[in-house]
Amino acid sequence: MKQGFRDALRVLEDAGELRRIKKAVDPRHFSALAAQAKEATFFEAIEGYPSWRAAGALVSTRKRLALAMGCSEADIARRFEDGIRRPVDARLVSDGPCQEVVWQGDAVDLTAIPLPLMHVKDGGPYISATMVVSKDPEYGRNVGSYRLMYRTPRDTGIDLVSSSDMRRYYQRALDAGRPLEIAVAVGVHPYEMLAASYKAPIDVDEYAIAGGLHGAPVDLVRCRTVDLEVPADAELVLEGELLPIGWTADEGPFGEFSHITGDVKWNPIFRVKCITHRRDPIFYMLQMPWENDWLAAPVIEAAGLQALRIASVEPVAIRAPVGGCCYWTLIASIRKRPGEGKNALLALLSVAEVKLAIVTDDDINIYDPDELDWAMTFRIQADHDVLIIPGARGKHIDPSVRAWSLGKGGLPTTAKLGIDATIPEGVPREQYERLRYFAKDAVRLEDYL
Amino acid sequence: MSPLAERLVADLRARPRHFAELVEAHAAVAWRDFLRAWGEVRGLEALGRDEQGRYVITAPAGEEAVQRRT
Repeated sequence: MKQGFRDALRVLEDAGELRRIKKAVDPRHFSALAAQAKEATFFEAIEGYPSWRAAGALVSTRKRLALAMGCSEADIARRFEDGIRRPVDARLVSDGPCQEVVWQGDAVDLTAIPLPLMHVKDGGPYISATMVVSKDPEYGRNVGSYRLMYRTPRDTGIDLVSSSDMRRYYQRALDAGRPLEIAVAVGVHPYEMLAASYKAPIDVDEYAIAGGLHGAPVDLVRCRTVDLEVPADAELVLEGELLPIGWTADEGPFGEFSHITGDVKWNPIFRVKCITHRRDPIFYMLQMPWENDWLAAPVIEAAGLQALRIASVEPVAIRAPVGGCCYWTLIASIRKRPGEGKNALLALLSVAEVKLAIVTDDDINIYDPDELDWAMTFRIQADHDVLIIPGARGKHIDPSVRAWSLGKGGLPTTAKLGIDATIPEGVPREQYERLRYFAKDAVRLEDYL
Repeated sequence: MSPLAERLVADLRARPRHFAELVEAHAAVAWRDFLRAWGEVRGLEALGRDEQGRYVITAPAGEEAVQRRT
């Protein structure tokens, strides 16, 4: 059965991973409080917003993401792969709780939503946990995740700088001199957020991928003012259009998923024409950078597994560490045959923007940093086992690519680094026999205490 | 224009500020009132940015817009 946002909250609470805050909180303080909590946060009362509650930092750790996905921490990539392999088409239903309350016309007012101010240099309050739906007459429906910056009670900025299907849809609408209708669902299950984060081929419906992850169809309702469909169980929906003004309005800075404050960008404006929500809505604040990072992890890890298999290398485990923002670094253990340490590196470094890849043998627990350090200490000779590939595609947000020195529209390049921490060819495996304590299984410490 | 929006414009005329600096300068104001006032300032179409991403009032557009609204 398909789960909703509130089911995810319940799963976290049952596991002791949700902190309820009963005292009324100002939305200006959501993010700072969530950053101090070890658990996901649930704000039961909000100053100035009596009918709202809010939640944040749901999947700020690998553990909480795994809980939401109903699998072990090591299995998030395989769980994601299972979902995208078995898509389930969405189902249109006649009504849903996301439309229990409707604000249209003069009633549209974004200030009536408890919008959080997250970081000290943000250009304004942000709606960060979005599932944005758009449609193109030729390519069909697309779902992605794009941040929204509050501008006025009816307008937000939207970050549409990076290449995406919706950017292409907007460009096509702009070329035709018309706005692009969009709908924004906030407060959906992490599976929907994962599907929205996944760069699916343009002919693949992200709602079907979310259905594959759930193992059940996502129920959709038609929007009230635009020709689009949104998850019926969302907490909040914004309907409207991207104005045909191109990339002309200031947006940002924003605390980015790279853990760095970004720059001001030039982006389109989203004009909100209708707001619908549940009768007792919960605003979902995606806590930057952690939730954004962890929602990327299953996607990038699944891509790494796929790249390894295409290279005919047998993966055992894979991890996108949060230190690499679950985006720039991949660590994998493999069942190695001669030469496959290097093949595995080449495969992993071909994935998206991965710029650091580390490969170990299958006896190394890659989730244990000490084990990984040990492998990198004793299985590496830097003149044989380190690959550097210069001039690969980089990403503007990485300060080390010096994007500011490029001209307008210039694309950065980066060097990629691969470290083969597998046992070198020609070194017998016995050389790595771990020490073992004499009589370890014969005596128990408790018997001597 | 509301008195709070006028104060925000005056703040920005005095020197460039990040959004959060404006929020801190008016911390006693209810969040929703602040957002409404910010919406008014945005509506003047006289906001610019400096190299550090801080908001500035672009003169003389800011002068004219404020006079029109007051």
